[in-house]
Amino acid sequence: MLAAEGVRKHFGGLAALDGVSLEIREGEIVALVGPNGSGKSTLLNVLSGFLEPDGGSVTYEGRPIHRLEPWDVSQLGLRRTFQLAAQPTRMSLLEVMLAGARLPEGSSAWRSVFRARRVRAEQRAAVERARGLLEELSLLPLEHHAAGMLSGGQQKLLSLGAALMGDPRMLLLDEPTAGVNPTLRRTLAERLRTIRARGTTLLIVEHDMNFVAELCDRVYVLDKGRVIAECAPSELAEDERVVEAYLGSVRPTAARRAPGATAPPPEVRT
Amino acid sequence: MLDFLLGVAVVAAIYGILAISLNLQAGATGLLNFGLVGFFGIGAYATGISTMHGAPWPLGMAIGLVLAAAAGAAVGRLGRTLAAEYWAIATLALAELLRLVALNTDSLTRGPQGISAVPGFFSGLGPQSRDLAWLGLAALVLALCWWVSQRVTGAQFGRVLRLVREQPDLAASLGHDVVGAKVRVMAISAPMAALAGSLYTHYISFIGPGQLEPFATFLVWTMVVVGGLGNAFGVIAGAAIVQLLFDVTRFIDDVFDIPSENAGGLRILVVGAALLGFLYFRSGGLVPERLRRIDARS
Ligand SMILES: Nc1ncnc2c1ncn2[C@@H]1O[C@H](COP(=O)(O)OP(=O)(O)O)[C@@H](O)[C@H]1O
Ligand SMILES: [Mg+2]
Repeated sequence: MLAAEGVRKHFGGLAALDGVSLEIREGEIVALVGPNGSGKSTLLNVLSGFLEPDGGSVTYEGRPIHRLEPWDVSQLGLRRTFQLAAQPTRMSLLEVMLAGARLPEGSSAWRSVFRARRVRAEQRAAVERARGLLEELSLLPLEHHAAGMLSGGQQKLLSLGAALMGDPRMLLLDEPTAGVNPTLRRTLAERLRTIRARGTTLLIVEHDMNFVAELCDRVYVLDKGRVIAECAPSELAEDERVVEAYLGSVRPTAARRAPGATAPPPEVRT
Repeated sequence: MLDFLLGVAVVAAIYGILAISLNLQAGATGLLNFGLVGFFGIGAYATGISTMHGAPWPLGMAIGLVLAAAAGAAVGRLGRTLAAEYWAIATLALAELLRLVALNTDSLTRGPQGISAVPGFFSGLGPQSRDLAWLGLAALVLALCWWVSQRVTGAQFGRVLRLVREQPDLAASLGHDVVGAKVRVMAISAPMAALAGSLYTHYISFIGPGQLEPFATFLVWTMVVVGGLGNAFGVIAGAAIVQLLFDVTRFIDDVFDIPSENAGGLRILVVGAALLGFLYFRSGGLVPERLRRIDARS
């Protein structure tokens, strides 16, 4: 569904992405892991049109998208969230959610001046939808509050909600659980599974290995701008290079675990 | 006294239109337009030049609106390559450029002497009822611009503008053309400024390069900041208050016996003090922007 082919991106002398290739198939939940500064966010920026790669290509549903504007990529149904999910201080949560919806009537300056009734009808349906999503993200009580005043974790959840308002076919999430409390983290995992079941493919940058093991079908490991491994979450701890570059020393119970067993995943020593 | 207040009110209403225009750009979208007077000038000179060549006033006005929309869209497009600060400087430079063109192309604009005897409206009426009629007209146009502004900012388009103002990357990730939004809001708001320019030229029957000084932009910025950036009602109130303040200071030189060559500087000082005072002590303005409350019925 989404494929990168030899993607390169340099910042000055630094090769943030050094020939990255990956492929995500429809209906998958794939994790992208790797140490800080390994290029995960940069890769997401390239995949979503926010950065133009210096080399290589990105194809989404068979068409090259690496030269498109980010909003064009988003309109194709490929949406993303940001690692720093900063929200506007002078817009309410509900407004941000509505901004995520596709509202063709209200988006046209001309029609918003002259066809108030259709604009309003369209908005009414979106408000219902938005409140339902906010409820699921435990944000409904704050719907009329300023989005920028939320905690970091809540801002992350809101940006996920806003992205979902547009019914994306594919979602790229940059550390969606960072700053989100454990209870809500579990709800979030469930929620992402539901999203997949409804037909959205997911690529998730994530440091929480429990979250990855619980949720993802496959993992790509990035280190210094290169893909160093691609495997099932349960196989991560068995790959020496991954252990060395990312996981660090792993608890022996996890390393000795029989393949395919549903034992707890490796924990990262920080 | 009544004549004085009527005159202030007419000019305040015309400046109110400028304030609505600037508020759509700076308040709703975060576009720091320091060249607003350029769009005012396009409308003013389109009216002045057209009527000088015998064209009927609606034609001059229409030319100004169309030119301003095109110029606005082009200037908005500059936002694609220029960061906000550089865009702000570019608007200032472009407006200055326009003033210099007005000053130096004698054949077209009559240069420094300007275009006088622009036909006024309501010339059949006596002075006081003429100003009353003018007040009605200016207030009507102001109300129309306010209505358009409310409609535009009240729907999804307005939310997109506010998101572009604060979190452009978030706006883009949600599928909104950030550059296109700037182009469109400029194409809507620049003609409002041109309309103000056209009306003003008909009202005082004159347009010259002196009216395109950056001070006019500064005055409108003061109105918008005093009223409340982002709040269309507030900026109209701001326009009325600042215009009154500006005109009342006309009498200061009489009262305190200040030589008239210093009085102009004093008026600017008063406006500047008002701007600084508000920026410092009440940056939200008199009627600050509020979060828009969306409920199921709206
Ligand atoms: N806009 C940028 N300009 C310069 N360097 C950047 C920029 N974005 C990222 N980098 C650098 O590229 C490398 C990869 O960064 P990033 O993709 O954010 O890593 P990750 O998300 O995996 O932590 C880092 O060394 C970072 O400093
Ligand atoms: Mg990152």
